[in-house]
Amino acid sequence: MSESDTHAELVSALMRIADLESRLREADETLDAIRNGDVDAVVVGGPSGQQIYTLENADRPYRLLIEQMQECAVTLGADGAILYCNQRLSALTGIPRETLVGRHLQEFVIPNDRAAFDQLLTQGLNSRRSAEFSLIAAQGENVPVNMSVADLPVAEDMPYLLCGVITDLTRSRKRTDELAVANEQLATEIRERRRTEDKLQLALDAADMGNWDMDLLTGKTTRSARFDQIFGHADLDHWTIQTSGDLFVDDDRQAVAEAFAAAPVNGTVDLEKRIRRYNDRALRWVQIRGLTYYRDGQPIRIAGVVSDITDRRLIDEQLRQAQKMEAIGQLTGGVAHDFNNLLMVIAGSLDLLESRAGNDAKISRYLSTARHGVERGAKLNQQLLAFARRQDLRVESVDIGALLRSFENLLDRAIGETIAVTITDPDDLFYGRTDPHQLETAVLNLAINARDAMPQGGTLKISTHFRTIGSKSTSPNNATAGDYVVVTVSDTGSGMPQDVVAKVFEPFFTTKEVGKGTGLGLSQVYGFAKQSGGFVSIDSVVDEGTSVSIYLPRTEAPLSPNKADPASDEVKGQGTILVVEDDDDVREIASNMLRELGYMVFEANRGRSALTVIDSGAPIDLVFTDVIMPGDIGGIDLARAIKANHKNISVLLTSGYTAQRFQTDGIDEGLQILRKPYNRVDLSLAVKSAIGSGS
Amino acid sequence: MTSGKSETSTESTRYKLRLFITGSTPRSTHAIENMQKICKENLEGQYDLEIIDVYENPEATRDLQIIATPTLVKILPEPLRRIIGDLSDKERVLAGLNLAPLAPRKTV
Repeated sequence: MSESDTHAELVSALMRIADLESRLREADETLDAIRNGDVDAVVVGGPSGQQIYTLENADRPYRLLIEQMQECAVTLGADGAILYCNQRLSALTGIPRETLVGRHLQEFVIPNDRAAFDQLLTQGLNSRRSAEFSLIAAQGENVPVNMSVADLPVAEDMPYLLCGVITDLTRSRKRTDELAVANEQLATEIRERRRTEDKLQLALDAADMGNWDMDLLTGKTTRSARFDQIFGHADLDHWTIQTSGDLFVDDDRQAVAEAFAAAPVNGTVDLEKRIRRYNDRALRWVQIRGLTYYRDGQPIRIAGVVSDITDRRLIDEQLRQAQKMEAIGQLTGGVAHDFNNLLMVIAGSLDLLESRAGNDAKISRYLSTARHGVERGAKLNQQLLAFARRQDLRVESVDIGALLRSFENLLDRAIGETIAVTITDPDDLFYGRTDPHQLETAVLNLAINARDAMPQGGTLKISTHFRTIGSKSTSPNNATAGDYVVVTVSDTGSGMPQDVVAKVFEPFFTTKEVGKGTGLGLSQVYGFAKQSGGFVSIDSVVDEGTSVSIYLPRTEAPLSPNKADPASDEVKGQGTILVVEDDDDVREIASNMLRELGYMVFEANRGRSALTVIDSGAPIDLVFTDVIMPGDIGGIDLARAIKANHKNISVLLTSGYTAQRFQTDGIDEGLQILRKPYNRVDLSLAVKSAIGSGS
Repeated sequence: MTSGKSETSTESTRYKLRLFITGSTPRSTHAIENMQKICKENLEGQYDLEIIDVYENPEATRDLQIIATPTLVKILPEPLRRIIGDLSDKERVLAGLNLAPLAPRKTV
């Protein structure tokens, strides 16, 4: 053995000693630590793996956790025997822990839930599982719980233990119940709200309105489908308070923008403006109404409705027009009535003058000229009355087609050669309820207007057709729905702008040169159609022509015509006549004419004074009375009183309004009316006839 | 190689440490607190510390022959060294980690 070998062995031995010393120290330290209680657990290796054994007090934190927790913790034997439980389970069951341990947990499970519990006990090993059931608690009440368990193996040949945590579900159930109630409440509110919204939608639909809502905070606008439809599905995505005016026509844009800009301050928007509808470029009137909503004094949204009011405006316009015509009619009727009295005075005076003038040719000529003037005045007055619908209509069932055909020659002459006249026969035989003479006049008036609208020539068409009208389209004309025979006169003339069309039916409105027209032609047409129970419509396009349609109620059975030829010679008579007339001049003329005809005459200026005369016992054969008089007794009342109390006295009525519909309750039958102005011949015949029929 | 009085902390090797504990037992929690403190004061930025709960992972004790908890094991730098207890004896821990001279043993 060499020295170096010996040295190497020594070094190796020293190193082994150092290593052993180190290990020994570590083993010492470990032993010290265990002996001093510096460790919590020891690890023991075995064939079945490393086992950890905790030392005393090591599980104290876990015990504390278990005892502190609000859930019940239990360890159960395989048969459900309680091996350990925390204080919470004792509190829940109301049984001290000392007695609780050893008992079986299923004793506390309500009978109905026992099966669920047993299943929890026996269900597969090594699995975590849970079940819900109810425990019988301290006061005998049932407490819903959830129990979750895990298997705890103890030894190979022993059954597993079960570690379980039992959670009291009372509060959570209660919360669930409360939540369910709250949910139900919410659902009810939602249903209620939806119902309200549905109702609102229904109301909007019924009103044909769209709705809109501008959120001022986000700048977002929502609109209903009807809104978009009204605007013709324009690109409205950026329709906000700032761009509100963009949808409207140029003239209205500024006003709309201002109305919306002012809405947050004013609190409302309410406007009726025109739009150019996007999809068909139609000009429509829309109405927008809205309200501003505030939060803490700040405007946050503006919302409202929109509707297309074009049709309504049109109908309003027509209604206003109809009302205006009605008012003018009233006025015209009044004027014509007074005018008739004036003509009456003049005509009567002329008659009286003539009887005194002898055979002076010059005087006769002047009288004749004056009488001619009166006749023209009377004719004009007839047209005024026609417009005012106060003329006497001789209504019968008229074959319109035949009437127009028989009229053709006359029309040709009246119209002239440069204009082609076409009269189209109707497809069928149409009877209209009307006065044939007035219809002729009306068509003639229209034809003359057409001629004047076509100075360079053109085509005049007269056609008849049948039309049924529903209530909606007739309402502006105040005509009732029904079947109508329509006579249309159309020309290819100059046409009229809308503002002229609006006025054409007004009396004395004319576009013709001074002296060429009276301005009463269309007024006659209008009044006549109305009085016949129909109406007139007019369409006119500048430079294309005008078309006027007269709507007359259709009728079936022709009424038998009833005509009498007027006599032309005056008939003198005898007897006593009471003339009742409020107009002094007319009364004087009438009285004088009657005296010249051979009658004795008394006079009265009121119905009541006339009754006084009659009741005084004066020998009166006939009362000749005006219909319209001031005071409480008019002509009709007077006639009734006489019929009732003085059967031997005859009555003859006279009026400027001969078309008045008297209340004929049988008593008025046989009453005769003399239309003003009348001449001596008319008067003599009427008086003679009235006295004759009365006696 | 000895337990190395002469070795210093200037060595560039990172410390690889493993602390075995048992759940949240009192000494285990102490050991964690003490270890964190010692590492922060002496090994800032140059150590990797694993804390192993032997309840969760009992087999992890086998390789390093752990027989009780808490036990701190210095895996690197070598030599491997086990320090048992709650690590409240700071000097002993530092000595075990070769960071300070070993004080004379109190008991044998």
